[in-house]
Amino acid sequence: MKKLLSIILIVIAFTSCHSVEEYPNDPPGNFDALWHIIDRHYCFLEHKGIDWDSVYSVYRPQVTDKTNYMDLFLICSDMLGELKDGHVNLTSWFSTSYYKKWWSDYPQNFDERLVEEHYFHFNEFSRNGLSYCMLPDSIGYIRYPQFTSATGEGTIDWALALLRKCKGLIIDIRDNGGGVLTVSEMFVRRFIKEQTLAGYISHKNGTGHSDFSEPYAYYYDPAESGRITWLDKPVAVLVNRSTYSAANQFVSVMRYLPNVTIVGDRTGGGSGMPFTSEIPCGWSVRFSSSIIYDAQMEITEDGIEPDIKVDLDADAAANGHDTIIDTAVAHLLSLIGSNQ
Amino acid sequence: MKNRLIILLISAIIALNGSAQEADSVLRPVVSGWMAEVGTSHLRDTYLTPVAYSGWHAAIDYERLQVSKFDKNRWTMQVRAAVNLGSTENEGKTATMWHFNFRPEWALMRRLDIGALSPLKLAVGSMVSGNVGGLYLLRNSNNPVSVQASATVGATAMAWYNTRLANRQITLRYQVDMPLVGAFFAPDYDQLYYEIYLGNHSGLCHVAWPGNFFRLNNMVTADWRFGSNYLRLGYRLEVFSSKASGIVSRRVEHSFVIGFTTEWLSLSSRKPQSDAEILSPLY
Repeated sequence: MKKLLSIILIVIAFTSCHSVEEYPNDPPGNFDALWHIIDRHYCFLEHKGIDWDSVYSVYRPQVTDKTNYMDLFLICSDMLGELKDGHVNLTSWFSTSYYKKWWSDYPQNFDERLVEEHYFHFNEFSRNGLSYCMLPDSIGYIRYPQFTSATGEGTIDWALALLRKCKGLIIDIRDNGGGVLTVSEMFVRRFIKEQTLAGYISHKNGTGHSDFSEPYAYYYDPAESGRITWLDKPVAVLVNRSTYSAANQFVSVMRYLPNVTIVGDRTGGGSGMPFTSEIPCGWSVRFSSSIIYDAQMEITEDGIEPDIKVDLDADAAANGHDTIIDTAVAHLLSLIGSNQ
Repeated sequence: MKNRLIILLISAIIALNGSAQEADSVLRPVVSGWMAEVGTSHLRDTYLTPVAYSGWHAAIDYERLQVSKFDKNRWTMQVRAAVNLGSTENEGKTATMWHFNFRPEWALMRRLDIGALSPLKLAVGSMVSGNVGGLYLLRNSNNPVSVQASATVGATAMAWYNTRLANRQITLRYQVDMPLVGAFFAPDYDQLYYEIYLGNHSGLCHVAWPGNFFRLNNMVTADWRFGSNYLRLGYRLEVFSSKASGIVSRRVEHSFVIGFTTEWLSLSSRKPQSDAEILSPLY
């Protein structure tokens, strides 16, 4: 009998080791669950110098048992706004919170109608998310608004093949909010000759704010044989504050290639890899949990400065000129001229 | 050396395989059957969400039992395989989590001598289990899946009792099994599968022991004889809990079991002796 009791006790001890902290499904419980998720999993608290305990002391008193769920959502959204991270969202039954200041506080520097009317002339090639044409002076122009999984290797092959006679290439990823990282990688591979250090990734490996795994170096391979590449001729990548996440990652690799120039405004950043969790009422929360460093071990969460800083000039735009495209064209022509 | 090892392994397998009826004075029928399970499932996997999910699950199981001629017919060999699919929801009904796994198992149990005439039989032994599956939480962005894979060696025990009910033979059985040692897969705390895709495979395999990988599988069945077949009705309770790299995964399943089993002999070129002893693994 003693043996049986011992076995039962051991079994109970084993399973109790695997306890999960529970929060009541009421407004204070949901708030506490959310605060703890960020406290234990968000990866930029130290990098951004955020005192998360003091954030708790500011917002927690605003939540009581009598707080309705609309107010709870607004309080929680404001609290998450302290993270200043476009990858952080709280999705409730009725709305999704979204921090916008990484782009809304800055000039947009992109006008889609301007590009369509005066550069594409409403007559571009367009397939699977990629639009392209040949500009005057033999400059190829690719507009890519999202790193979507609809874009396959064949789509890039066709675009680069049809622009192969161009002397320079513009890749316009302004207003590109990101998408699939492997698509970003697929694109970069067309521009590298050899295996290239793309960056490092480090994930939270514990609940502490400084608990991180050793940064893991990862590399991109050149495009496989038979794919169309663009290796030696100059490239300009156009960016603005809405160039974010996977698009920011694209820039963080491309900018170290010798024939690539970044033109436009600072990118929006977003170098954290989002993770999703949940609070007891069923609302989901998305947040950054892994840091992606660039090849120089720099964190690009706050954006990447362009090589040539230029804004869209409103007066020029009124006359049909996108000053960011025009600056890129002029820069490419100067490089082509100096190479000839 | 490699060839010798292979020959040795093949010899061991042949020795354990009771279906080769070389001694016709002893017949070792096979009890095999298919079962369907349906029941409730309660899941929690902190890699996906700290919130508990509840719902249904259904499974198809196969089982094969046979007395092995190994060690003077004192052992029973068991093969099981199960495919399990479940769907669960959180309390707020805002998300669905699917669960899928495939688990093959092989066990060898020594029958305990409690008297040849006793209707109650006992057997204990060891079980080798594999498991491949995962949890899929549809709405998660970069962490929608929690892969569950393991290979373990554990203990199993079985008690069965033959009696009659409504003028038909009935076999009541209880079996419990629990992994004791092995290996299982778990990503690091907050490690994304994207990072694993990039090539960081370190620390993904963990040594399993009941302190970090606990699974207790209990099944009670009653097999009623109808002609040469048996109708099986039963109940299964499985409790699973693992913890690695700060990630806790739990599953509790209650299942109603229904199935059919049959008892058969493999064909032999030699006729059995008229007084051949029949060693059924159950009946």
